[in-house]
Amino acid sequence: MQATASAPPESAQPPRSATGRYQSIETVELAQKALSSRKPFTLRLQFLIGCLIVLLFGTGVTIMLIMTTSEVGQKVHLLEIVNDYLLEIQQARRFEKNYFLYGTNLPNALENVLRAHSVLEREAESLRQTLGAAAYERVLPDINRYEDLLQRLIALKSQNLNDAQTIAEKKQIEQDLRTHGQHMLTFAETLMVKERSLLNAAIARSRGLHISGLMGLLLIIMVNSYVLGHRILGSIHRFETYAARIASGDYTPVMPARRHRDEFTNLAMAINKMLLQLESREAVLMQSHKMRAVGTLTAGVAHELNNPLNNISLTAHMMLEDYVGMDDVERRQMIEDIINETKRSKNIISNLLDFARESSAQLEPLDLAALLQDTIKLASNQVKLSKIKLEFQAAGNLPRIHADSQQLRQVFLNLILNAIDASPKGSRIQVMILPADEPNYVAVKVIDFGSGVPAHILASIFDPFFTTKGKGKGTGLGLSVSQGIVAKHGGQIRVASEEGKGSTFTVTLPITTIPAAITQQPRLQLDTRPAHD
Amino acid sequence: MSGKITVLLLDDEAIVGRRLKPALEKIGCTVEVFEDPRRALARLAEQTFHIVVTDIRMDDIDGLQVLEQVKKTSPATRVIMITGYAMMALAREAMELGAFDFIAKPFTPDDLRAVVARAAESLGLAVTSSTSE
Ligand SMILES: Nc1ncnc2c1ncn2[C@@H]1O[C@H](COP(=O)(O)OP(=O)(O)O)[C@@H](O)[C@H]1O
Ligand SMILES: [Mg+2]
Repeated sequence: MQATASAPPESAQPPRSATGRYQSIETVELAQKALSSRKPFTLRLQFLIGCLIVLLFGTGVTIMLIMTTSEVGQKVHLLEIVNDYLLEIQQARRFEKNYFLYGTNLPNALENVLRAHSVLEREAESLRQTLGAAAYERVLPDINRYEDLLQRLIALKSQNLNDAQTIAEKKQIEQDLRTHGQHMLTFAETLMVKERSLLNAAIARSRGLHISGLMGLLLIIMVNSYVLGHRILGSIHRFETYAARIASGDYTPVMPARRHRDEFTNLAMAINKMLLQLESREAVLMQSHKMRAVGTLTAGVAHELNNPLNNISLTAHMMLEDYVGMDDVERRQMIEDIINETKRSKNIISNLLDFARESSAQLEPLDLAALLQDTIKLASNQVKLSKIKLEFQAAGNLPRIHADSQQLRQVFLNLILNAIDASPKGSRIQVMILPADEPNYVAVKVIDFGSGVPAHILASIFDPFFTTKGKGKGTGLGLSVSQGIVAKHGGQIRVASEEGKGSTFTVTLPITTIPAAITQQPRLQLDTRPAHD
Repeated sequence: MSGKITVLLLDDEAIVGRRLKPALEKIGCTVEVFEDPRRALARLAEQTFHIVVTDIRMDDIDGLQVLEQVKKTSPATRVIMITGYAMMALAREAMELGAFDFIAKPFTPDDLRAVVARAAESLGLAVTSSTSE
């Protein structure tokens, strides 16, 4: 019996190969195109831009720091000058006081004032700059006058005249001396206060600049590292999920997930190339494993074929022997037997040949129950040889699934053959189709009551080349290949087993009512619009 | 001795019985044909046959069980097993259990007749020549 699933003619399904969770050269090419069409914005570029911003900001801050430092230096220098000047003036005034109290020290006062004057003159340039020319010009007359007064007083004193005019002049000079001295001192003191506060302000500014510059630099570096790190870690995380997905056998190409193209895009493209390789390698593995299964089945088929062959042989021989004495009805009956037995032989092998045929992967709507019946038939000789009762139950009204019939047959055949291997003579295997626990999935269960899988190897049975069967009996590829096929169909294989009691292998497959439903899966959007992260 | 040789033929393939019954009758056997091993066993419990020809592989009860049953109830009965290709292990097992001989499918009526003739001979019976006409 052939699969009843009706396959539409080839020409009616041109886009089929690009749909479904199916990997093909076209889907990979589409993915590659979509990936490479993104505008480039590499991590390298982002890193360089970040460095450039840090550099520019750093340079700006440095220049400003240099400027404020030199300003502070200038202010300190000026303050020293003002301080010198103030000290000289203060000293001069102290001597002036001595003069008034004891009539001494006038020349010392003059000396100090001259020194103060020379400070003013020596630092004329910087004073003019910082005080302003006007203020500077205002100090000079005072100091000149004070000097002048002191000199006149010294001159008067040396003449030692005691006339009334001299005394009056002396009095006048002394008064002026006091006034101008006071002026000078006030000026120097205000200058001192003013300069000191200016210096303090400059120092505060410089300190502020230090702190804010440093903070700004830190902030820029932090923001840049965060953005860069976020981008890198996000991508790494994404590739982690890809790796897990690929490991489970789903070879859907990696599609662009971001707006830009960068080093990770190249990685994605390399992975897609690798997927093609994996795919073709897996196809080889699948085919070779299928041939192993065919080999197993062949023994059963050869055996089964003996029955019709024997019937034909016996009938033909007897017909030859009794030809003359037979009536037409008998002859007709024997010829019909031969024809029927020939048909039966053909059916026995055609199912196997159909399965063995190398086929290109093709998704089509399938009636799972019919497919399973087909598969069971394929294994029926093995079942009979092992004296096992295989029961098949299908829940009514199950929707079709969208799958590759050849590959699914291979999956179920593997599970059934494994169940047969594990079952003792005369036991039972149940195969059933029922709606899965998850909505929109169907489940196929293959249940045996055989040896079961020991707990310590349960985790390994899906590994490629893991087998507990003797050399030449097991390849260890059955479950691994089956898992790959099922994953590609968007399903899962699960196992529940108890040593000595038996095992239940459950295959869940997604239901698709219309083929288009598959293309609506977001992961498979093949347009080149940027998807959003 | 020319008593009729009684043969019970058991094979779940209907055509086998249909063709072999006349073939064996030609050499002087009385043949009862069964497709269902249970019915055959029931019949074997009623009556002993000179020769039992049984297929080794059937769905419910296999030829080995029939062999054991026959050997238990009438050890003299010659049991000829019909085996499939590449079932040497089963065939050997059958021989150990006391089968007279085995014959592998596909075979010709003459193949079987030869074995039946030898079996009859071992019982001191003789078949009649069939190929004369
Ligand atoms: N139904 C089952 N019952 C018990 N053990 C099983 C069953 N199916 C699979 N196994 C275990 O899993 C191993 C791997 O199976 P598989 O990948 O099909 O390879 P193979 O059948 O060639 O050994 C088997 O060797 C067996 O130990
Ligand atoms: Mg296997």
